Amino acid sequence: MSPTRKVTFGLALTPSATHPEHTIAQAQLGERSGFDLVTLLRAPGQVVDGWTLLSWIAGSTERIGLLGQLACLPSEMPTVTAGAAASLDLLSQGRLTLAITSDEPSDDNQHPVEGVEETLDIIRRMWAIGEPGTVRYTGNVHRVDGAQRGPAPAHDVPLLITGDSPELLRLAGEKSDGWLSEINGSSLDRFIAGSTLIGHTAVANGRDPREVPKIVTIRGTFADTRGGFLHGRSADWVDDLLPLIVDHGVTTLLLATEENAVLQQFAEEVAPRLRDAASSLLPAQTRTGRLRKSTAIAQRRSGIRYDDVPDLLVDSAIEPGDFDFPRVKSTYLRGGSPGLVLRTRTVDEVVAALGFAREHPHLPLSIRSGGHGISGRSTNDGGIVINLSLMNRIDVLDEATRRVRIEPGARWMDVAAALQPYGWALTSGDYGGVGVGGLATAGGIGFLGRGHGLTIDHLRAVDMVLADGSRVRASDTENTELFWAVRGAGANFGIVTAFEFEVDEVGDVGWAQLGLDATDTAEFLEKWGHTSEAAPRDTTSFLIMGPPRHGQPALAQLMAMVDSANPDTIIERLQPFANISPLYSQSVQLMPYAAVMANAQGESNGGQGEPVTRSGLLDHITPEFAAAAARLISSGTVYFFQIRAVGGAISDIDADATAYAHRSANFSVVAFGSHRQRLDAAWEELYPFFTGAYLSFETDPRPERLTDAFPPATLARLREVKARLDPDSVFRDNFPISIPTLTEATS
Amino acid sequence: MIDYGHDLLFGAFITPTNSPPMHAVDMAIAADRAGLDLATFQDHPYQPSFHDTWTLLSYAAARTERIRLSGNVLNLPLRDPAVLARSAASLDLLSGGRFELGIGAGGFWDAIEAMGGRRLTPGQSIEALEEAIRIFRGIWATDATGRLVVDGSFYRVNGAKRGPKPAHDIGVWVGAYKPRILRMTGRAADGWLPSLAYLPGGPRDLTAMNAHIDEGATRAGRDPRSIRRLLNISGQFSATGRGLLVGPPEQWVDQLTGIALEYGISGFIVTADDEATIQLFAEVAAGVRRQVAAERG
Repeated sequence: MSPTRKVTFGLALTPSATHPEHTIAQAQLGERSGFDLVTLLRAPGQVVDGWTLLSWIAGSTERIGLLGQLACLPSEMPTVTAGAAASLDLLSQGRLTLAITSDEPSDDNQHPVEGVEETLDIIRRMWAIGEPGTVRYTGNVHRVDGAQRGPAPAHDVPLLITGDSPELLRLAGEKSDGWLSEINGSSLDRFIAGSTLIGHTAVANGRDPREVPKIVTIRGTFADTRGGFLHGRSADWVDDLLPLIVDHGVTTLLLATEENAVLQQFAEEVAPRLRDAASSLLPAQTRTGRLRKSTAIAQRRSGIRYDDVPDLLVDSAIEPGDFDFPRVKSTYLRGGSPGLVLRTRTVDEVVAALGFAREHPHLPLSIRSGGHGISGRSTNDGGIVINLSLMNRIDVLDEATRRVRIEPGARWMDVAAALQPYGWALTSGDYGGVGVGGLATAGGIGFLGRGHGLTIDHLRAVDMVLADGSRVRASDTENTELFWAVRGAGANFGIVTAFEFEVDEVGDVGWAQLGLDATDTAEFLEKWGHTSEAAPRDTTSFLIMGPPRHGQPALAQLMAMVDSANPDTIIERLQPFANISPLYSQSVQLMPYAAVMANAQGESNGGQGEPVTRSGLLDHITPEFAAAAARLISSGTVYFFQIRAVGGAISDIDADATAYAHRSANFSVVAFGSHRQRLDAAWEELYPFFTGAYLSFETDPRPERLTDAFPPATLARLREVKARLDPDSVFRDNFPISIPTLTEATS
Repeated sequence: MIDYGHDLLFGAFITPTNSPPMHAVDMAIAADRAGLDLATFQDHPYQPSFHDTWTLLSYAAARTERIRLSGNVLNLPLRDPAVLARSAASLDLLSGGRFELGIGAGGFWDAIEAMGGRRLTPGQSIEALEEAIRIFRGIWATDATGRLVVDGSFYRVNGAKRGPKPAHDIGVWVGAYKPRILRMTGRAADGWLPSLAYLPGGPRDLTAMNAHIDEGATRAGRDPRSIRRLLNISGQFSATGRGLLVGPPEQWVDQLTGIALEYGISGFIVTADDEATIQLFAEVAAGVRRQVAAERG
């Protein structure tokens, strides 16, 4: 986050060579006393390693910021330093600031200032994980020759410069995120001169001087009588320090002390008064206090009125030049480069974001919950993304009726984990990293499906923001037509801000992963289809096959869940599947549903390009279909082929009860290819067997896919709702339902 | 049969992944609670999906109570030996003597060079490691007179202040496979830390490798027994036995007891990134300790 003029207070400790644990205890006392930051001073001849100590402090504190101070030695590689700093920031959940200074010039260190600048440059490049290629850098001191970027820190770690030489001051003004210096009674003039030079250099480089805040170390004595700068009573300290903040742009004061009494008196009597005085004396801040770096402003896209982003959203908005952008621009399967990402935390913010997006009707608008969408794009190029990931609450509304309220940004593994203590589960998909919003507006074909239905079959109500910004609730009794449409085609009608589900009691489940011989792929598929349909509803299995492996037999991976905690039942249910063909590998475990869903790590943002998929819903795996599917798999056109068992409880629901209408299907088929035309051509052979398609897994952009996803009656009904609730097609990111024009209607 | 007479150590080899950031720390805490002796992390600073191992060791040490920590092994070519020596002593002080220094000469030279490190031949890298060990011991020798001077071909320390003094005699454990570095290990190190997966002939290879270490130690006038032999292992706990370290815990106990008694291995560090494996290995540890104690009589 960019600097603001909020005043913060830190503690500068001198490590003890023999009892470093005292320093730890002081850092902890500082945290308890309300200090914002702790740093370790580098004493001449110091032998204790500051980075080790700071990392330990990170591990033994919870909240306090950590300011690492680093002298650039030629022997220290900035690439490694970048990794160390990123790690400390990740481990401390974004608490790090890094200050860099030059070491004394020596035979081994002939270019100390260059060393600092090169270190700064290299660290920034190592952290720029969104930039293409590896890091190459040739400096006077350091050379990097193709290092992999990353890891990136958890937040935009400010890089400060420490030093008083004109070269370092200019460097601070040109490139740094702040200047760390020391002030005592006699050095105030030098501080002001340094600060002025930094300000001029910043402006000359097109920066706002506020991008280079001043952080100063101070030391003093509390005494009953006044005796010069920072010698006297607390009120005298306030008198001495306030001008630094108000007149000289100091944003952070670091108190250097070894005495706990000084630490506490400063925290109790000086810091609060300075904070209050500063907030009344400082000029009115920018509207939210956020200052975007000039380098970020330079990367804005055309056509977006960035300065008009609603106040509510300014703090959490992410632009292409912002630190967090690489983490939000792409999704799990799709590369993207939006012009603006609006992260919303409340319904008010969703309304504001949607309003802002509607003022840019010429731009693409994407809605993102978890970022796993295949048909739902969740990102775009140059447009706006409304990112719901921060809206991720999961609340039990009523234990008796098992009513649960879930926000769209929650991920299914978190939902499963939250429900487990109650002995409940809600069927979702096959991957815990998927977000709630996209899946719960499309269907939700999961491992409990045959016994418990689709995810949407458990939906009892939604709170939504519609295209015109209005907030509505839809259920079986309110806005019933919308509630019907949301369950299968929700992405077309608005942004769901909360789902209310009635979840089921589900105990531990049997979870099996079987590797089966599929050399005769057609025969295997057909047998699996029969076995799957014949299995009791407590058993749901998904089949995965990959492309032919040269010289090796074809293998099918089966993932099956048995909704029973009885080992005998589990084995009985699985045996028919294990009997289909020779078994290469098997793993069967009794575990909570939540443990099965806890299969996602990290964030969903590594996608590149566009996923190429086709989807079909199928009533039965006939010999003819199995033969055609076997040909597709062996052709090498698809790299991932999956069939999920549906049917069972899913088929109990009337076709016209929800917008997901293909209730007769027993199987959902999806194929991933790497070439659009080739996959579409190969799919033609399978197409006649299908009764429909599952919208969530379909990426063919041709409009006729809508008629695969929705039977005629359903589509006609959806068009009516669309015409009424989103006549301008604001929501067109995920299989837009066209509103019939006159020509279409008469042809 | 060979037995160098050390107490047995059991540890976890934990992937220092940075996503999710706390995984490795959580596993170290689990290993601490399970009663294992060692939590160790590999060190590949050029691998963007890993934490910086030094930072991770320091952070994890702060979060654990009893377990010892080590790099497995630290990457010398990307770390300054004098800085590393002070860092190691600092961490040992902070942790109350829970740090051991597993170190390697370096291996992935393309990646090391890409990061700005110096490419060395295998022979040079062994010499560099021996110089580095001299620097470690010199920095830690706060009772020695005068400042530290090491005038090596790869590292020079010109009158550095010694210290801090570690809380305990930190073990320098070298990851080594070939005869020359094995002899250097015998000459200069306190321990040896290879991975079973890299031994083409399996445990049987340990006999010849031990002999090189013994030779290096003897030639340097050291007792070969002063060098602890550790081993990184990986395997699978399963209901039915299917070979070395694939099977139920009782089978692991028998096999590790065999390796301990046959080849003098006194430290077993298992690849473990889940709590279940850590728990099961702690059970195995107790079993091996019992059986080895019975055999040693």
